Amino acid sequence: MSDSGIMVEAQDVSKSYPMGSVRVDVLKGAGLSVKQGQFVAIIGASGSGKSTLLHLLGGLDRPDKGRVCFRGQDIGRLRSSRLDRYRNQTVGFVFQFYHLLEELNILENVLMPAMAGKGVFQWLACRSDARKRARTLIETMGLAHRVKHKPFQLSGGERQRVAIARALMNQPELLLADEPTGNLDSATGNGILEGLERLHQAGQTIVMVTHDSRIAQRASRVITLLDGRIVEKTA
Amino acid sequence: MYRLILPMRYLLKRRISYLAVLAVALSVFIAFVVLTVLHGLVADFKRKTHDFVGDCVVTSRSLVGFAYYADFIDVLEQSGLIEAASPVVRSYALYSFHGRSERTRDVQIMGVDPVLHSRATGFGASLFHRQDDVARAFAPVYDPNQAGCVFGIDEVLDRNEDGHYEHYPSPPRIRYDITCFPLTARGALLKGGTGGASTKAFYLSDTSHSGLARVDGRIVYVSLEQAQALCGMSGQTPRVNAIHIRFVPSVSVPEGTRQVAELWCQFKLDKADAQFSYLLDNVLVQDWKRFRRASIAAMEKEEAGIIFMFILVAITTAFIVFVVFYMIISHKRKDIGILKSAGVSGLGIVGVFGNFAALIGFFGSAGGLLGAWVFLRYINQLEDWLHDTIGFQLWDRTMFAMGDIPNTVNPYVLLAVMGTAFAVCLIGALIPTWQAARLRPVETLQVNQL
Repeated sequence: MSDSGIMVEAQDVSKSYPMGSVRVDVLKGAGLSVKQGQFVAIIGASGSGKSTLLHLLGGLDRPDKGRVCFRGQDIGRLRSSRLDRYRNQTVGFVFQFYHLLEELNILENVLMPAMAGKGVFQWLACRSDARKRARTLIETMGLAHRVKHKPFQLSGGERQRVAIARALMNQPELLLADEPTGNLDSATGNGILEGLERLHQAGQTIVMVTHDSRIAQRASRVITLLDGRIVEKTA
Repeated sequence: MYRLILPMRYLLKRRISYLAVLAVALSVFIAFVVLTVLHGLVADFKRKTHDFVGDCVVTSRSLVGFAYYADFIDVLEQSGLIEAASPVVRSYALYSFHGRSERTRDVQIMGVDPVLHSRATGFGASLFHRQDDVARAFAPVYDPNQAGCVFGIDEVLDRNEDGHYEHYPSPPRIRYDITCFPLTARGALLKGGTGGASTKAFYLSDTSHSGLARVDGRIVYVSLEQAQALCGMSGQTPRVNAIHIRFVPSVSVPEGTRQVAELWCQFKLDKADAQFSYLLDNVLVQDWKRFRRASIAAMEKEEAGIIFMFILVAITTAFIVFVVFYMIISHKRKDIGILKSAGVSGLGIVGVFGNFAALIGFFGSAGGLLGAWVFLRYINQLEDWLHDTIGFQLWDRTMFAMGDIPNTVNPYVLLAVMGTAFAVCLIGALIPTWQAARLRPVETLQVNQL
């Protein structure tokens, strides 16, 4: 960790995407820093660039301009293999639509990040430990009875809990959640948020994207994004 | 490990994968069955040709033949290269049944020493009645004192629908009048004018079944001395048209042929001053394949044509696999995004879909080969059943000189077909897999969120 305690930082980042024949500027010099242990909510209207900022923080994409640094290292300049390792070891993603692999059961989905970072022999060497951890995570999420089920057999809330368990499998330093309750009813969404709060209380650094200000209030810090720029930071 | 688990699940859960497996299996089935049958036919033809010719032939390009063959056989025997050498007269003749000259037909006449020729070639084994007593091949059982002849079996007997010949218990007493046109050592007709032909009566002593249509339907064997007399090749300096050679087992055909050619060159030099040395210039030394290249090349050309057609089948299969993979990967863009968000590299994605292609290749080729093996195992029974039920025969045995359809599995053909199927699957999956590896996760995940 750098001296300032900043874990991840976006410095004046811009990003545009082609849309038909024109390029749309999604982020226009956005800046943000997240300290270790913080629970940050990024709020903004649809199309304001929240998800894009989250993807840049998670190394799913690279900025056109500006820098995204994790513990002082510019991840936008990392080689592909280092960036793959960053996504595998350092961050965990939770998506609005869960994004579970339909062909795998719940246990296998949760194990996926552990498998992804290892070769066959490495995996065989640590498989039993990984399975133990995956089962523990699934139990923590209250899904012990669903271990062998396929994602399509689960409710939306259950799927999202599996997605959170998967994101936590490799004990990431940074958990990135993109509208984690956006596809859930309020009661189920509330359960997910309580889970995130518990993780935060246990020391997990979380950056969550939402368009709902009430949900954002559950975070320890709220950042508002408007038209690709950070317009408001609230402690 | 995900590189093994995911491809297996894609294979089992995606019905479209079954189509790819089926396409590969069908292609492998067709390729393996046809190549096995064709390879069997070609191998059988080559074996029969080898049996008919021996390992190597010293042959004259002229019907006049060449002299001093006995001296050269002595040279060969002293070389230790050969197991046997058989001097042969080969010419053209007319034959008719005695008293039925209106039924005169043409035939190729071969004059051989039955014992020597049986040692150098498969002649003895091709006989029906005298197989165990080849020395008496030209002695008719009903009158051993008469000059006998052995006809190619198709000249004497017809095949039934099963492809078998209905032999007589002993050769029927049939007299043939065989007419040749004897040539002098200079190539002129021995007797000028209309009386140039030389005719002799022969009695059928046996039939020869080489399995080669052109041989069994076109050849009559007589003894070497009588053929020489008929063709004007006897006398103080007898001539023959060829020497058929069988090498000792330790000498390979190419090496033996090369050494015989060297011995022949030296022999020609040694005989340079002999009276008929000019006849030695027309002589070639060839191995059995080269000697019968006209027939073998035709078969090999057909085989090459079939292989070319299977290359087209392989290309079609590769295209089917390509389309299936393209469709699967289009449906799996989200999975690729999920995997990449979990830290799977582009190479890992290649591993997932590459293994998927390999699985399709494995199960497709295994299924195709298993089906083909079962089909080949019962192909002759199936043909018999079709023949009995609807009268269908793949090859009409009354026309084609063959018995059962060849169905012996050749391990090289098996490996070649399986390897090709594997390669075709990997090639078909190459472009879609490469595209999948290059997908940016954010594109696939965002699109799926909209």
